[in-house]
Amino acid sequence: MQRRRQLTDRLFWAACGLAFLLIAAPAISVLVSVFHQALPALGWQLFTHTTHTNGLENAILGTLLLLLGVLIVAGTVGVAAGIYLAEFATGRTEKMLRFFSEVLAGMPSIVIGYIAYLTLVVQFRWHYSLLAAIIALSVLVIPYIVKTTEVSLRQVPTSLREGGAGLGMPRSSILGRILLPTALPGIASGLIVALAISTGELAPLLFTAGSSDNLPTLQLFNHQVPYLTNVVYTDLALPGARAHATSAAAGLFSLVILVLLIAAGRLVARRARRNTARMSL
Amino acid sequence: MMADPSSAVVSSRVAQENAPSTFAGVSASTALAAEVDDAIFEIHALDFYYGAHRALRDVSLKIGRKEITALIGPSGCGKTTFLRCLNRMNDLIPDTRVDGRVVFEGESLYAPSVHAIEMRRRIGMVFQKPNPFPKSIYDNVAIAPRVNGVKVNLDDLVEESLTRAALWDEVKGKLKASAFSLSGGQQQRLCIARAIAVKPDVILMDEPCSALDPLATIRIEELMMELKSDYTIVIVTHNMQQAARVSDRTAFFTVEEADAGTRTGLLVESGPTKQIFTSPTDPRTDDYITGRFG
Repeated sequence: MQRRRQLTDRLFWAACGLAFLLIAAPAISVLVSVFHQALPALGWQLFTHTTHTNGLENAILGTLLLLLGVLIVAGTVGVAAGIYLAEFATGRTEKMLRFFSEVLAGMPSIVIGYIAYLTLVVQFRWHYSLLAAIIALSVLVIPYIVKTTEVSLRQVPTSLREGGAGLGMPRSSILGRILLPTALPGIASGLIVALAISTGELAPLLFTAGSSDNLPTLQLFNHQVPYLTNVVYTDLALPGARAHATSAAAGLFSLVILVLLIAAGRLVARRARRNTARMSL
Repeated sequence: MMADPSSAVVSSRVAQENAPSTFAGVSASTALAAEVDDAIFEIHALDFYYGAHRALRDVSLKIGRKEITALIGPSGCGKTTFLRCLNRMNDLIPDTRVDGRVVFEGESLYAPSVHAIEMRRRIGMVFQKPNPFPKSIYDNVAIAPRVNGVKVNLDDLVEESLTRAALWDEVKGKLKASAFSLSGGQQQRLCIARAIAVKPDVILMDEPCSALDPLATIRIEELMMELKSDYTIVIVTHNMQQAARVSDRTAFFTVEEADAGTRTGLLVESGPTKQIFTSPTDPRTDDYITGRFG
């Protein structure tokens, strides 16, 4: 019996170790290989030159601009819909909203891009533009934000709601002053995931953002937008080691933005948790 | 009225925590009128339903102003449900219904004209488990006055409320600290301070000491005795000694099980605490308080 238990124990730990390796190894290998391939292109010119002259300045700025737009559009709509689902929706409206949100979550990004192309770019005559790209990305990531917002709010203990109600606080104050601050780490992590997805997406942007060697502008319509994943994609198809290195460098900067986003998310969560850490509810 | 809280009732409390006799805590108080003269709540034939299930049947009770009324009874007898009817807390639970009348200060609590949220500012509540908000000690007390737009100096109000809740001396140096840095007993007193800050007339307490150790329990009980000079207190408790120690009047609830297995709570009797504990009129009360049942 004793021996068998020890054997089971070891097998279990071996399985855990293997699982860890299966997750860690690809992540590390991607980082190392991207960094290695990008090495010849790395230099300050990446920040000071546009893609026209082997830099990435315009692509980095364009990606950041897109992320800001997604944060504003998808963040507002997603968090609002999540609040509505968790706190107010009942019966059929709740079921319908949840159904559509789930359908949207399962929609391939290229389909969303194509539909955005047909409607926004062609039909509305926005052409390849910042707003079309932001909306396509937002539609893609809103379901994640809705889900995480709703779940985070539902996880706030009933006792806190009742505590607020018992003090004669109106529903809006309970939501704004108690529930949302308590749910903030969860909501923030949903926003981070949404931004991370947006950073790495290419398909919907090919249909909506276009491509540009110039610095991005704040024009919402009719101006094409440069972005990192586009450089990864197009430069890899170009001949020459230089272009391949630039492609890898663009990939590397996507990863850097990702890491920064994750770090920012941790920071928000830690700040918010300072008050909730010892919550014994 | 109970005897002076500093008399035997208080001084022998620790010993009574483990005292075998249920009656030990009943003080030799001056006689309390058998009937409530000055009622702040008058409940008439109250029925309460969770969906189709009737959880409370035909409860009629008067609650005296600036008295402590204890609601006791076995689990499932509906005493917490009844307490939550007094500030319409059950409104928050979907598919519930109240029949009968709850009159508060001469006004029907469930009348359509009554604004439940404003009404709850006059009838505060303290819950079974301390439930401070994940905020600083200061903000926990200040949150409701801020929301209500109270035109007073918040610092003064926070100090006054914490002092009233016998917590000020322990927290005055760390008002910005998280409420969760406090012990369970302190958290519960913070919740009482939070309720007091709204300046209610009534404080409803739902087993406020059930999650606390005996010493923290004594602090809360002493606090209740002090608070009753200004507030009406209704307390649900599982602890009969506690009811005997602190309350002026006691209402005993019990539960009836129908053949179908559905359980309905009802009020058996109510009266001055001393009378309920020493000479109850209903045999069910006698069985419960002497430990033959429940």
